[in-house]
Amino acid sequence: MLDLAPLYALDALEGPELAGFEAHLATCGECLSILDVYRGAAANLVHDATASEDTWAQISAAISDNDAGGVAMPAPSRRSDPWRWVAGLAAAAALLLAGVLVTQLTRGSQLTDRGIVASAARAADEPGAISGDFLVDDMTVAQVVLASDGRGFVIPTEDLATLDPARTYQLWVINDTEDVISAGVLGPDPEPATFTWAGAVSGFALTRESAGGVVSSAGDVVAVLTDF
Amino acid sequence: MALTLVSADDIRLSPRGIQALVTDQRSDEAHLVQGVVDRDEAALESIYRAYGGAVKSLARRVLSDSTLAEDVVQDVFVTFWNSPGKFDATRGSLRTYLLTIAHRRAVDVVRSEVARTRREENTPPPGPGLDLESEIWQRSQSEIVRNAVAQLGEDERRAISLAYFSGMTYVEVAKTLEEPEGTVKSRIRSGMRKLSDVLGEVAP
Repeated sequence: MLDLAPLYALDALEGPELAGFEAHLATCGECLSILDVYRGAAANLVHDATASEDTWAQISAAISDNDAGGVAMPAPSRRSDPWRWVAGLAAAAALLLAGVLVTQLTRGSQLTDRGIVASAARAADEPGAISGDFLVDDMTVAQVVLASDGRGFVIPTEDLATLDPARTYQLWVINDTEDVISAGVLGPDPEPATFTWAGAVSGFALTRESAGGVVSSAGDVVAVLTDF
Repeated sequence: MALTLVSADDIRLSPRGIQALVTDQRSDEAHLVQGVVDRDEAALESIYRAYGGAVKSLARRVLSDSTLAEDVVQDVFVTFWNSPGKFDATRGSLRTYLLTIAHRRAVDVVRSEVARTRREENTPPPGPGLDLESEIWQRSQSEIVRNAVAQLGEDERRAISLAYFSGMTYVEVAKTLEEPEGTVKSRIRSGMRKLSDVLGEVAP
C-alpha cells in the first residue's frame, strides 16, 4: 500500500485502488506520514502568485453572509469522523454547508419525468452505482441514485412538502474529505431531475434555501443520506 | 498580522537557517489559524494574501478555465473559514493543506462530465508532443525546487506533470503517453520519491 501514497498525493488514483488506499490510510500511520511528505513535495511545485483583490472581495462577502446566518463551527479535529457533524444536521439549525457550484438541476429536456424515473431505476442496478433514500420521520421524501459514470438522479416523492415560491430545495454532495458541495437546486416543488457528479461520494444532503440556491447554506437541513 | 513567505533567496540559507525560517513561518501560521478559529476575518485575509495566488495558480492549471478556478479558490477559503480545525499543523504547512484541498476540488471538477467537455472545447488534450511540463518546471520559483526537479528523468517529469497539473489519473496518464500503466505508476513513484527527499519538508 505504501507504493500508492505518491499516486494518492497527486490525486492520481481512482476506483477500487482509491477506495482501498483510503480505507488503509485510516489504519496506517506510516502511510499517513509518508503521504504528508509527498503532499508537501507536490505543493512545492506550485508557484506563488499575487492573489486577486476581486476574489478576496467575493470570499469576504461569502463568509459575511454565512456568519449573518449564525453558522456553527464544526468541532476541530483533523481526522474526525466524517459523519460526526453530518449526523447532527437534521437536528442542528445552524450548520454550514459550503459548495462550489450552484446549478439548476436538469429536468425534462430530453427525458420526461417518467423517463427520468426509469433511467434512475436502471442506473441503480448498474455495477458500482449507489442509491438511497432521504428520510424524514421514517418517510422517504426523495431518492438519489448515482451511477459509476457520474450520472445522478433525484426522485422526490409526494411526501416532500412544497415550499413557498421564494424558497427552493437544494441537493448537496458530501465527498470523501468531508467537503459538502452543491450538486444543484431543485425548485420549491421538485420533480424528478438529473445531475452530474464525478468523484468519491460519502453522502448527500437536502436543504431548504432561498430561491435560486446558495453557494453556502446556513443549514436548514431536510435530510442527510449516508447509508447507501 | 502579515504572513511572510519564505522566498527563493531565503532558501539559499544553511539547513539550520531554513529550519529557523520554517519554524517562524509555522508560528505565524498558527497565530493566523487561531485568528480564523476566533472568527477574525483579517486573519483569513492574511492567509488569502499569502496563499491565494498559489491556490489560484494550481486550480487554473488543472482546470484550464479561469472561471472554474475562481470558484475553487473561493471554495477553498470559505471551507477553511468554516472548518479551520481540520488543519493539523503537525502534518504539514498551511500552504500545503490549502493546496491539497484545492487540488482535490479541482480534480473533482475536472473529472465531472460537464467540465471535461468544457475543457476539451477550450484546450487541446495534452499529449506526448506538448511541452507542458517544461513550462511548469521553469516557473518554479526557488532554486531548491528547480534543483529537485532537475534530478528527475524526463519521463518522470512528464508523468508527474500530467497527473498533478492536468488532474489525470495514472491510467489517463498512461493512455496519454501511450505507455503501460505499470510503467507510469513506477515513474510517478520514483519521481515523487526523489522530489520528496528534497522538498517534502521544506517550505517553498
